[in-house]
Amino acid sequence: MSTFFAQYAWLVPVFPFAAFAILTAMGKGMSKTGAWIGTIATFASLVLSLCIATERLSGNAEDYSNQFTWIEIGNLKLHAGFEVTNLSTMMLVVVTLVGFLVNLYSQGYMKKDERISTFFAYVALFTSSMLALVLSDNLLTFYIFWELVGVCSFLLVGFWYQKPEARAAAKKAFIVTRIGDLGLLIALLLLFWYMPGHALDFTTIHNVFDSQGGGAISTGITTLIALLIFLGAVGKSGQFPLHVWLPDAMEGPTPISALIHAATMVAAGVFLVARTFDIFDASQVAMTTVAIVGAFTAIFAATIGLAQNDIKRILAYSTVSQLGYMMLALGVGSVTGAMFHLLTHAFFKALLFLGAGSVIHSVHTQDIREMGGLGGKMKITAWTFGIGALALSGIPPFSGFWSKDAILTAALDKQPILFVVGIIAAFFTALYMARLFFLVFVGKQREGQHAKESPSVMTIPLIVLAILATVAGFVETPFNGWFGHWLTGGDAEHHASGLVMVVSAAVGLLGLYIGWLMYVKGTIRRDAVSSRMPGLVTVLERKYYIDELYQWLFVKPLQGFGKALELFDEYVVDGIVRLSGYSVSALGRLNSRLQNGQVQTYALTAIIGIVILIVAIAGRRFW
Amino acid sequence: MSMLSSYLTLAAVLFCIGLFGVLTKRNAIIVLLSIELMLNAVNLNLIAFSKYGVNPSIAGHIFSLFTITVAAAEAAVGIAVLIVLYRSRATVNVDEFDELRR
Amino acid sequence: MLNFDIEITGEFVAFFVLSVCAIVGAVLAINFTKVVHTALSIAFTFVSIAGLYVLLEAEFIAFVQVLLYVGAITILMIFGIMMTKHDGEGKEPGRPLHDTLAAIGCICLFGILFYGIRNANFPTESAPFVEDNTREIGKALFTQYAIPFELVSVLLTVAFIGAIALAKREEESSQ
Repeated sequence: MSTFFAQYAWLVPVFPFAAFAILTAMGKGMSKTGAWIGTIATFASLVLSLCIATERLSGNAEDYSNQFTWIEIGNLKLHAGFEVTNLSTMMLVVVTLVGFLVNLYSQGYMKKDERISTFFAYVALFTSSMLALVLSDNLLTFYIFWELVGVCSFLLVGFWYQKPEARAAAKKAFIVTRIGDLGLLIALLLLFWYMPGHALDFTTIHNVFDSQGGGAISTGITTLIALLIFLGAVGKSGQFPLHVWLPDAMEGPTPISALIHAATMVAAGVFLVARTFDIFDASQVAMTTVAIVGAFTAIFAATIGLAQNDIKRILAYSTVSQLGYMMLALGVGSVTGAMFHLLTHAFFKALLFLGAGSVIHSVHTQDIREMGGLGGKMKITAWTFGIGALALSGIPPFSGFWSKDAILTAALDKQPILFVVGIIAAFFTALYMARLFFLVFVGKQREGQHAKESPSVMTIPLIVLAILATVAGFVETPFNGWFGHWLTGGDAEHHASGLVMVVSAAVGLLGLYIGWLMYVKGTIRRDAVSSRMPGLVTVLERKYYIDELYQWLFVKPLQGFGKALELFDEYVVDGIVRLSGYSVSALGRLNSRLQNGQVQTYALTAIIGIVILIVAIAGRRFW
Repeated sequence: MSMLSSYLTLAAVLFCIGLFGVLTKRNAIIVLLSIELMLNAVNLNLIAFSKYGVNPSIAGHIFSLFTITVAAAEAAVGIAVLIVLYRSRATVNVDEFDELRR
Repeated sequence: MLNFDIEITGEFVAFFVLSVCAIVGAVLAINFTKVVHTALSIAFTFVSIAGLYVLLEAEFIAFVQVLLYVGAITILMIFGIMMTKHDGEGKEPGRPLHDTLAAIGCICLFGILFYGIRNANFPTESAPFVEDNTREIGKALFTQYAIPFELVSVLLTVAFIGAIALAKREEESSQ
């Protein structure tokens, strides 16, 4: 099979980067053109990515990699390069596709923002680094781009820096993910230390850990490395206990939430684990940890999502929950399931966020209690959002059903408890999606709201994503394991399980039905739960008090420590500095008094100087 | 203690008294006179060496002649400067002249 | 260190008397508050030094000393005193720190000089000195030191012209 386009894969991140460079160089002077530059660059990347994908679709394409020596210190060589595999091809397509659609959508959404060209520059930089991250053939460059997407996330979350919440959220996102990044860095250093030949490229990692038996690296170290890598993934993908930044990151513009905090960057953690899956595979402890953390996050975030009132926050917790699903899939050994869910989730969650953005754009509020009956006014948005909600809830035949089904099947094979947790989480997912959808689009319309459909530049991406969210699931069904085979090269690990399909579809439908009863029909009173268990609802609304806990556990002590250091700086360090300053200026004052313009003083000084000089020179003889 | 040492010590005493006058006296005329005293002390040294030195010669006399001449010139110019200063500032106190500071 | 094993000769007595006169004159000059007194007392010192020159067989220099220092410079200074006012003599506030430091500096300097003189190794016997030194000075000045002599005359001329130019009232130019 030809690898013609794959050779030029390095161009994929270059297009957006060029756009970023142009936009940054041109500055604010080109708001309208600037937006188009970013969009066109991303489109170019999309076309190239699709070409690469087409070339590889046949299934048995050779992996193409190209690397050069980056740094050479003594006989130590660091390489940099890119690698095109089926996994990275899939990610390329997802990132460029969602990136392109979000760019298009932002043309409408960000139209009135005066820093629109800056926005597009950031988005272009993000797209570029995300694509480079996907293409990286070794952990070192991977880590560099990993940090770069983190920076872009920080910049974009804090894009509306005039809002104090946005500033705080940006800081929080950056600091919390740093904890994970530190883990990844340590893992990187450990790998560098223990790997034969200090190799950091994924191929060598694959080879070393795949043949693990009496292998090169002891089990303890392997577990440690795997857990540290997982810590990085936890930070980036918003898994418990580092999930707290992701909901707050919704302070950023909605297209950003769709692109970075739903479809691509947060999935980088999943991608990382999938990319280094051999390390995890070699350590049972690490696999169990991944599975448990994933499952717990899935149900934990889903329950919080039930009690939130901010449309974007609900979706954010849903993202956290779905990323938990992906981790669960990885933990039970199903790379295919994880990547499949990543793919479908990228489409339907981007769709949901963009739909939410369309709603916010129209009614200028994010509180779902202030919405209602928008379905009539915003038909396209309502329909596409509905499709996204169904896909997320796992209703057949939408894509979410198939990918969730793949995960649940794998979980059932491995550990029934995880399966049960997944099913419960799926039920909650359906429930909160029903609540969200019915509260926003169905029911009475609010007074004084002049909702109208968004411009076509915003609805077209919605339609495209809705189509994808519907059909993307058919690449891998229990009856057709093409995707898994294509992705991992192995045999289809999927065996049809009628039970799983029926159960997952049933709980999804059940969730939707209860939601319908509560929020449309009114058969079940809305406050049925909150009146009986007010404590539980409060706990959910306060997100299990995790933020408060961190506030007391980490933030306050650290602030106290910072205060202490500040005092130390104020009085000890500054004291020394001031002392030296004062002593010098005192010396200066003394000298300036000496410099009084009177010849006799000068002569006296000269005489004393001569005396001292003579004494010093003559005195040397006696020492 | 030879005569040479005595003369040198006397010259040192006169020199230091002159120096003290230069450093402490406020009146510019006294300062000038003190400078003359210091020059005289040096002359005394020259003459003493001329007689009691390792190679007694007339060169010491010649030198002191030159010194006296230069001192005379210095005194003349010094008094002239002093009078000009007095005309502009109405004082001859050296501690009131602090133009060097500006 | 101070071994005053000095044979009392006529020369030494004369030296002793003249040096005491010179030092007393100098000390008084420093201590007088009136400027005229100072000038006169300095003149006394100059005369004493002239006497010392005679003692050192430098009669010509002694003559020049009396002529120039006592006759010219002191008179010049007295003219200077007459042309300026000296009403507020000795009424300014003292400068104790400055004066103390100056005294310490001068005493230290003297100590160093004295130490150096005491430790220097001078030849005890001196070669015979020329008899008629005025003639010798004349010869040297007009042979060996002719060029410096002429230069000094130029210097003197320049100095006096400069002094006149400085002290001249500038009424013509200011009008």
